[in-house]
Amino acid sequence: MPGDEKAPVKLSLPLEFQQDIFKELREDDELVLLARGLGLLRIVTNLLHSYDAAGNNLILLVGADERENVWIGEALAEHAAVSVAPKARGLSLVNTDLMSVGTREKMYAQGGIFSITSRILIVDFLSGLLNPETVTGVVVLHAERVVATSLEAFILRIYRQKNKAGFLKAFSDSPEPFTTGFSPLTNMMKNLFLQKPSLYPRFHVSVAKSLEGRKKAEVIELEVPMTDAMRDIQNAVLECVEVSISELRKSNTGIEMEDWTLDSALHKNFDTMIRRQLDPVWHRTTFKTRQVVRDLTLLRTILHALLTYDAVDFNKYLDTVLAASQPPPGSTKQNQSPWLFLDAADTIFTTAKRRVYTGKVSNADLANNPNSVPDSLEPVLEELPKWNQLAEILQEIEQDAYLNPTPQDTSTGAILIMCGDQGTCRQLREYLQIMYVKPEGENDEDGAESEPSAQVMMRRKLRNYLSWKGDFTKVSSALFSENQKAINSSTENRVQSGKANKPPPNKRRRVRGGGAAGSGSTRSDTGAVRTPGDRDAHIASLMAELQPTEIEAMQKTEISTDPLDDMDSYYTLFDMDSLVVIHPYDGDLDEHILEETKPRYVVMYEPDAAFIRRIEVYRSSHTDRTVKVFFMYYGGSVEEQRYLSAVRREKDAFTRLIRERGNMALTLNNDANLDPQESFLRTINTRIAGGGRLAATTQPPRVVVDVREFRSSLPSLLHGRSIVVVPCMLTVGDYVLTPQICIERKSIRDLIGSFTNGRLYNQVEAMMEHYKSPMLLIEFDQNKSFTLEPFSDLSAPSTTAGLAVAPDLQSKLVMLTLAFPRLKIIWSSSPYQTAEIFSELKKQAEEPDPLKAVQIGLDPSMQGDEMRSFNQVTQDMLRALPGANEKIVTTLTLEVESLMELANMEEKELCKLIGTDVGRRIHRFFNRSVYEDVAVPTL
Amino acid sequence: QALPSRSGPSSILVSPRQKGNPILNSVRSVAWEYSDIPADYVLGATTCALFLSLKYHRLHPEYIYNRIRDLKGQYQLRILLTMVDIENHEESLRELSKTSLVNNVTVMLAWSAQEAGRYLELFKTFEHAAPTSIRAQRSSTYSDSLVEFITVPRGINKTDAIGLVSNFGSVRTAVNAGPEEIGLIAGWGEKKVQRWCNAVREPFRIKK
Repeated sequence: MPGDEKAPVKLSLPLEFQQDIFKELREDDELVLLARGLGLLRIVTNLLHSYDAAGNNLILLVGADERENVWIGEALAEHAAVSVAPKARGLSLVNTDLMSVGTREKMYAQGGIFSITSRILIVDFLSGLLNPETVTGVVVLHAERVVATSLEAFILRIYRQKNKAGFLKAFSDSPEPFTTGFSPLTNMMKNLFLQKPSLYPRFHVSVAKSLEGRKKAEVIELEVPMTDAMRDIQNAVLECVEVSISELRKSNTGIEMEDWTLDSALHKNFDTMIRRQLDPVWHRTTFKTRQVVRDLTLLRTILHALLTYDAVDFNKYLDTVLAASQPPPGSTKQNQSPWLFLDAADTIFTTAKRRVYTGKVSNADLANNPNSVPDSLEPVLEELPKWNQLAEILQEIEQDAYLNPTPQDTSTGAILIMCGDQGTCRQLREYLQIMYVKPEGENDEDGAESEPSAQVMMRRKLRNYLSWKGDFTKVSSALFSENQKAINSSTENRVQSGKANKPPPNKRRRVRGGGAAGSGSTRSDTGAVRTPGDRDAHIASLMAELQPTEIEAMQKTEISTDPLDDMDSYYTLFDMDSLVVIHPYDGDLDEHILEETKPRYVVMYEPDAAFIRRIEVYRSSHTDRTVKVFFMYYGGSVEEQRYLSAVRREKDAFTRLIRERGNMALTLNNDANLDPQESFLRTINTRIAGGGRLAATTQPPRVVVDVREFRSSLPSLLHGRSIVVVPCMLTVGDYVLTPQICIERKSIRDLIGSFTNGRLYNQVEAMMEHYKSPMLLIEFDQNKSFTLEPFSDLSAPSTTAGLAVAPDLQSKLVMLTLAFPRLKIIWSSSPYQTAEIFSELKKQAEEPDPLKAVQIGLDPSMQGDEMRSFNQVTQDMLRALPGANEKIVTTLTLEVESLMELANMEEKELCKLIGTDVGRRIHRFFNRSVYEDVAVPTL
Repeated sequence: QALPSRSGPSSILVSPRQKGNPILNSVRSVAWEYSDIPADYVLGATTCALFLSLKYHRLHPEYIYNRIRDLKGQYQLRILLTMVDIENHEESLRELSKTSLVNNVTVMLAWSAQEAGRYLELFKTFEHAAPTSIRAQRSSTYSDSLVEFITVPRGINKTDAIGLVSNFGSVRTAVNAGPEEIGLIAGWGEKKVQRWCNAVREPFRIKK
């Protein structure tokens, strides 16, 4: 194996630039910024292994996510086996609260490489379970997430305060976050306590030399045109996006929105971008704005679905979207999403339907005889153009393989098809299986030459769709009985009645009578709004037409729970030479796929910049293998734009970083930088830096903090103000400052949320019971506007009745203070400010007792600290059950294992547990079938 | 220590000191009248409010302490209605937080005269109201609680929720469904499927 000869262990870094990085890293502490797809994890594992093989160490891996842990764990084990290192211990995971304190302590004492969830690591550091001085070194993944107030920065600060000798290396493969803000790289380096950034873009000399010097991978680019219908839909969606954006502009004057254009809408995450821009003022935005932002996310999903889902699935998805966008019963028209009123929305829905089936029923026919069933419905079943292209490529590959039967290399001849997600995988697998099967009856037309087609598959899908549609109509009517009429009618109808801004029903008749000529819908005598396409009878006739032919019936349908769907098991079962492997892109794990399948042909069904680099790396690493790559994209589509802009943005980011590195002052001297306390205080307030220190005389000030609060930045800032942070599992309150003062911290978003679900009321109630001075801390974000005033006009006189129905934040606060007169409110404009207020409040006060704080509010019957680490999400889901209150939630948490068990419980059991009334309601909640369309009494 | 209700419960009592305060212009939906009271506003039998502009506070920091002292511990709920009308509010607000603890007043911030006036109205309006709307509320209809239940895990929206139940028929079958089956529903990507399945299968509490 080619490798670094001088290193004591065997490495698997065949390329020159990889070896360069490795050598640099062994010598120096630095931040490595590598372009995506160049094998960052491979370098990390080799580095970890080189330490692992030496033995006798304690290395912490910070910031790795679940999949990376698996990757690194496997790779380390493999390395250890290859280089026969007796001292190597591999990777140990500490990633859940499930591991008890004792176990963790024992593990740390043994040493080795640990990947630890940040929240657990910080608690272990602070509680002394893990002494930072014993740590040999820290490796940080995803360094782009280490911003000043992050947990990771807090971890590194503690580590560097106590341990100046250990090594510290940081990695990142997304350069973009490093380029926002003022001298971002310098700041990041400060947070990381590192001096040297090392940048490896794709255009770096040694990278380019490694990848281009030898034989290049052969790439064939194929631009597939979209069908007209697809283009129409895409344009219509973009129009909706444009209107939504201008809607945002209109309702949020005074916010910087120049760059909210359609161009940026083509960008991958334009909805998150807009959300981020609005974030500082989010709590002041109106309901409408929030709705539009939600709509944008939905529209983006639709854009994506258009390119990946087949026509039937796409139409089905739109059906669900429509049903979900129905306003709740009794609400006004303002609650409708604005884009649904557009002509473009109409285009989306009708075109999507026309891609599946057409109904040529004229209005006159229906008006004359509304109950007749015209038989002119026809399935259309448009196929995705990429399918045909894929079939052609496969044919070409087959010919190619036939012409050169004995390859001169070690590739296996397998064909690897890479696509965006599991869903697309499934779709392609199904397509490839039956693309040469014809439904009977149509053999005479195009059966002669065996053109691949998806007809069988599409017909099967349409059958499923139609039977689903029947159920679905019932579901929506059962769920939204008030809107039954609207939902029964077709999409066009809803859009059109929407466009008319829903005049009152009596007026509507007249409006319709006058101008309904052009519309595709009509009104039958019974008054129900109907359209040809969706009538039960029509569906039945369509169904009849689609009756499976014999050949179709022979094809087995894809069984969704096929255990072989797990790709890993394929490798051992089949001969690689004749295999077509379909796999979704999966970040760094794709390297494994390439290594294991050793494909001679790769088809990229969707563009992915990182994967192209991966192929380059793979190709250059194995000189004896040839790879031929086919690369497909829809011309003029969002997909193409997105790919291009991703490549461009990465390049821009690197260019800027290189420029900044050139200007960076590298005179930072070690000692100054290593006193994080100092630098931290400076960021808070220069004036009190000296004074704050002096105040800490005999006993350092202490604050007891709930462990769940470590997700916020406040504990880190408190620590920065040289307050001792004691992590504890608190039942009452978030922070205990003195024996009397207990604080519940709420960010604005939390505040709104916990008012809505009533949790704040209970929390304050508990604080009132146990502490003399309960306080509610309302914390604004550093960059958020420090005001609660909504953008809407306050001066409009609001009636008492109106307020009681939909109270705003202000009214809720008033209610809270009226209900708890003893509760004090702290208003803080930022976490930095909070830290100052805390030390102000603690002046000349006693220190809190952690033991006592932990015991307060504990149910004596629920002893044992570990018992109380409940899972937050499931708790919230339990709270959402009908009739559930805190007591019932607690009972269920203690008595039942999981939601699954709860859902499958017998009614009797449940009633015994939580009482007949609620028990019955919860049982009914789980077991009620939404297909029944009986009107059900409200819960 | 409640003041005898001389003027009926329906109006806000305003101290003559507050004459000319622009926030009075925004008190519209509730009647108010001048009265000789130690506080600036009396908003109910046990509630009073002092008004403080931060601009003024910076010039006369001792003023508000005298006013609080004059209240002589009367009223259960003593609001310090503070108008944030300066840019560098940090220091003053820090001081007021401490004060609120020491002197038993509750700080409420307003950023405009309108908002401040609105707070006065609200305190009066809700004087006798039960805090029902801030306590746990249950959604009333099946569809609401259904959607609410399914959308708890991050990233799952209403469309997904409806897609889910319409495919499986009931919540129970949706809970029991395997990740492969859920993945077939349009709109449910791997992440969502993973989150939903985890939420449903994860144990409620940690087993020893």
